[in-house]
Formats: sequence, structure tokens, C-alpha cells
Amino acid sequence: MSNISSSPRFSLGSLVRRPESGSLVGLVVVYTFFAVLGGAVFVGAPGWSSWLNIAAEVGIIALPVGLLMIAGELDISVGSVIPASSMMAAVVSGFFGLPVPIGIMSGLAVGLLVGFINGVLVTRTSIPSLIVTIGTMFGVMGLTLGLAVAIAGSTSVFLVPDPFTKLVLGTFVAGMFNVSIFWWGAFALVVFFLLHISPVGNWIFALGGDRQSARNAGIPTGFLTVALYMLSGLAAAFVGIIQLMTYQSAQVAAGQSFIFNSIMCVVIGGVLLTGGSGSVIGIVIGTATFAVVNQGIFFSGLDPNIGSVIIGALLLAAVLSNDGFRALALKYARGKGSAS
Amino acid sequence: MSAKEFLLRRPEAASIISLFGIVAFYVIFGGVNLSNLFGAASWVNFAANLGIVAIPLGLLMISGELDISIGAMIPAGSMTVAILSGYYELPIVVGMLGAIGLGLVVGLVNGILTVRTSVPSLIITLGTLVAMQGVVLAGAKLLTGAASVPLTAPDWAKMLFGGLVGGSYQTVVLWWVAFAIVFGFVVHRTRYGNWLFAMGGDRVSARNAGIPVDRMTILLFMVSSVSAAFVGMCGAIQFNSAQVSGGMGYIFNAIVSLVVGGTLLTGGFGSVAGIFFGTLTFAIVSQGIYFTQIDRNWSSLIIGVTLLVAVAMNGWFRNLAMSYAPRKKA
Repeated sequence: MSNISSSPRFSLGSLVRRPESGSLVGLVVVYTFFAVLGGAVFVGAPGWSSWLNIAAEVGIIALPVGLLMIAGELDISVGSVIPASSMMAAVVSGFFGLPVPIGIMSGLAVGLLVGFINGVLVTRTSIPSLIVTIGTMFGVMGLTLGLAVAIAGSTSVFLVPDPFTKLVLGTFVAGMFNVSIFWWGAFALVVFFLLHISPVGNWIFALGGDRQSARNAGIPTGFLTVALYMLSGLAAAFVGIIQLMTYQSAQVAAGQSFIFNSIMCVVIGGVLLTGGSGSVIGIVIGTATFAVVNQGIFFSGLDPNIGSVIIGALLLAAVLSNDGFRALALKYARGKGSAS
Repeated sequence: MSAKEFLLRRPEAASIISLFGIVAFYVIFGGVNLSNLFGAASWVNFAANLGIVAIPLGLLMISGELDISIGAMIPAGSMTVAILSGYYELPIVVGMLGAIGLGLVVGLVNGILTVRTSVPSLIITLGTLVAMQGVVLAGAKLLTGAASVPLTAPDWAKMLFGGLVGGSYQTVVLWWVAFAIVFGFVVHRTRYGNWLFAMGGDRVSARNAGIPVDRMTILLFMVSSVSAAFVGMCGAIQFNSAQVSGGMGYIFNAIVSLVVGGTLLTGGFGSVAGIFFGTLTFAIVSQGIYFTQIDRNWSSLIIGVTLLVAVAMNGWFRNLAMSYAPRKKA
């Protein structure tokens, strides 16, 4: 992948062969469709805020899930880390009344710990990551529910954050844009640097392309896998904290929808489920596409359930066109190789 | 070889051990009364509904594929029969054929897309899952104007698909046992079963050996979708109305049951008996907890731990099975 992006001269051909070009076309088509149906309200600030708020929360999780997918792994457990972290923070700071930073730290620590367990189980055993993370998903879900009821006596715990925390993690800028949008942007930049500029990015692609060769080339594959799982646990925990600060209460049963939604964003963004291919820009575009459909449907006057039909169709179209784009890119690379 | 060694090498070994382990755990730590637990129908009914979906899903998994669109096909089957026979008042047979037909079509789409493209079946069926959810809900609203559709089935249909036998056991339990016997025979006694394991073991070699790999894959996806629609249909007939929600839980529950039952996610290993006992184990873990003094909120934790322990055991038993060689040649 990197030899295409680092090719010295710009050409239309190299642009078409980039993994995210298909998803960009999808985003433009979808946005135009809903802009026509939704009119000025959807194109204006209310429309933008509604889909950006959705995109930010899914997007923060989709980025590390995408990295894992590029590395050839899945993470289902994010769905129960979100409520676990927000419940942890709410119990520590809301129920026991400890300072909010300690609550936030312990919430994030839950994410890191679950990620660490996932990573160790995936690298040390031969169990597929789908199964490992389904196991930890059920495990964390049960622990959250059981401990919340045992300690706080309730499945929802309240927390009123101090003004500073509320401002940084749970406020609505201009009354409608959730501050998580800016966190999403910052996080995307960090992950972009990680994947496309730092050497770690090449390691991740190598890991997804061929794990055995990557290990033989001296890449610390076990360490990298554990780190990626901890990153996705941390991101899910962070979303849990943001939800807690925004809505001021932690619910045990929030977050299941994030499992498939994050995978769909990543796949619409052109990441290969089997690993070795994908880009951060693609993941961001995929997330935006998902959110535009998800929220645009409410502005369009159509039955909201048609939204999921569109998302399903989009997902299939994305994977099918990625199939085509990848074939094109690989054929191009092969052709060049045989000519020289 | 001794009987013990033989049993431990079977794919279902871990699920049977898990089953006893869970019951023992509930008896020791939950103070469960065994005659109450085994006399109760709630977890058997739960297992039957899950099991009918789990068996064909397990066959897909043995052949190396995954089908998560079942989560939408259960409500889809229930909605189709309710709309056709409840709202439009067509004969119940038409409604049932409609539900089965819808399952055939969705399974065909899943199968063709899986066979014709290089996209993993997890992603393809994720797409059809989301799309079918929308189609069912939007379709129901469009056609009937309501999200819940009532259905009154004639007595014979009620008796066959949605009745109660022996007190409070749903007839679905009998269907589950029948399914398990039929599929057990097909998988373990006919050549189609061998094809299945060959496909999961090595797809290219299977094709080279003359196995119609593509046709088998499409067929398996169709059986899986039809079974899910069948469970939804029985639910609608039983409860006199279509339930649109509640399918999503089946996805992970079924996968957990299969894996506990010794099916290898990556294909090539598993058994119908294992799937059967895996489903039973899952049902006892999740429903049996109501018979214990343990707070039911912990059931998810027990499921997660059971899954990981069972998978680890399965891996160990599989090694035992794979490394076994008859000693008579030495």
C-alpha cells in the first residue's frame, strides 16, 4: 500500500487505486441524497451537529477497531467496555464521592485492563480473537451488572461532574455540537500519525498481511497485538466517560450497538476484514457515511427503518467495490513488477 | 484404546464436561434443587429455540463460514407469517410458505455473495443482517401501519408449531430433537458430512477432489436462514403475534453455544452432538441461574468464563484427537 502513496508524481490512476476513493464516492452520493431530501435543515448546522455527534462516538471506537482489523483481529468486547467504564467512573466519583479525575482514571483503567486481557489471550492461545472478545464481552457485561447492583444497588448510577470536567468531556459547543467531535478529530490525527507516518504503521500492515513473516522480520507481533487491544479498550472506555459526562448517568446496558456499528464504519471505509489493507482517512470517511445515513434518515421524511436498509446496501456495495479496487491496485502493482 | 481416551477425543467432550461442571457449580454454590431444575421447561424451551438456529449455523462454521444474518431472519420469519396470515388473512400454509421462502431467498443471496466474491461471510451477513432489519420493520409499517401484527393460527398449526406438550414444553423442543437427529445423520453418516468437513479443512483441496463446494456453501446458507425463519414463525404462531425485536441476542448466544460445543470457528472440526450439548449448556447457564440463589446479574459473567474455559478445553482435546495415531503399525 505504502509504495503507491509514496509514488513521486500525482496521477489520476493512483488516486483511483487508493483504498479510500470508493468510500469517498459513497459518502458524496449518500450526502447528496439526504441533502436533497432533507433540504436546508440537514445541510445547515442542526443536520451537521446531529450526524457529527453520532459519528464522533462511533468514530473514536472505529479508529482502533480499524487498526486491529488491519492487523487481522476483531474486537467485540468494546460493546461492554463502554458501560463498564462509565459505570466504574460513576461508582467511584458519583457513589463513593471521590474526586472526578480519579473516577475518570479508574474508568479508563477498566478499558486498558480488558484490552490487556484480550491481547494476552489472543497472542498466548490459538483461540480466534472473535471468540476471545465475545468471551470477554460476556464476562465484562456480567461483572458490570453484578458489581453495579452489589455495590450501588442499582443498574444506573448518577454523577454530576464539576464545571471543568463537563466543559472538556461533556459539553455541547454552540448548544448542539458535542465536544466529543473535537476528541474524535484529535484522535484521528494521532492514529493517522501512528498508522501512516510512524514505523509502527508498517508493522501493523505487515502483521495483517502475514503474521509469521512479520515475526520473522523482527516485528514484536505479540507486544503490538496487546498494545492495539489496549488502545481499543482505552478508546471504548473513553467513549463511556464522555457519555457519562454528557448524560450525567451511567447505564449498565448501553453500548451493544457499538459492536456492529464500529465494524460497519470500518468496513464501509475500505478496511479489509482479513487484514493487511486500509487507511485512517478511509475509516473516518466510513464513519461519516454511516452517521450521515443514520441521522439523515430522520431529516428525509422517509421511514427511519429504511436507514438500516441503506446502511446494509452501502456495506455490501463498499465491500464489493473494494474488491474491485483492490484487484485493480494489485494488478497494477503486478504489471509494474513484471515490466521492470 | 480405552473408552475414556476415545470419549475425550470426541468434539463434544468439552461440552459434556462443561454441562456437568455448570450443574455442579449451581448445585454447590447456588443451592439449586436438581429435581426443580430438571423438571422445569423454561430452559429447555430456551435451548430448543436457540438450538434450531445453532445446528445449521454450526454446519456453516464447520465448513468455514459464519452467518450472523440469523439475527434479522428470526423476526423476519415471524413478521412474514403474521402479515400474510394475520393481516391479509390468507391461509396459514401460505404464511408459513412465505416465511420459509423468505429464508430461502436471503440464504441464497448470502450464499451467492460469499461464493462469488472474496468478501468474508461475516461482513456479507452483517450487511444482510442490517438490511433485513430495516426491510422487516419498514415493510411491516408500510403494509400494516403498525409495528406489531396479531396472528390467529388454526388449531392444527398451533398444535404442530406453537403448542405445549407434557405441561409447559413447547412443541419447538420436539422439532429441535428431530432437527438434531436428521442433521446428525446427514453430517456423520452420509458423504455430505464428509464434504462439509473437507470444505472446512481445506476448501481448495475439497474442490479439487470434486466436491461441489460452491453449491454446498449456498445450500448451507439457505438452510441456516430457513431455520431462523422457522424459529420466528413458530414464535409468531405460539404467541399469536409477530415479535420484531429479540433476534439480535441469538447471534452471540448461538456462536457461544457452538464454540462451547466444540465447533472450531475456523472450520473443519465439530459435531452435531457437540452443538446439541453446547446449546444445552448455554441454556442452563443463562436460564438455570433463576433456580439458584446467585444473583441473575452474574449470568453473563458465567457465560463468558464458561466460553473461554470450554474453548481452552476444546483446544486441548482437539490436540489429543489430532495427535492420536493407531499404534498397531509401530
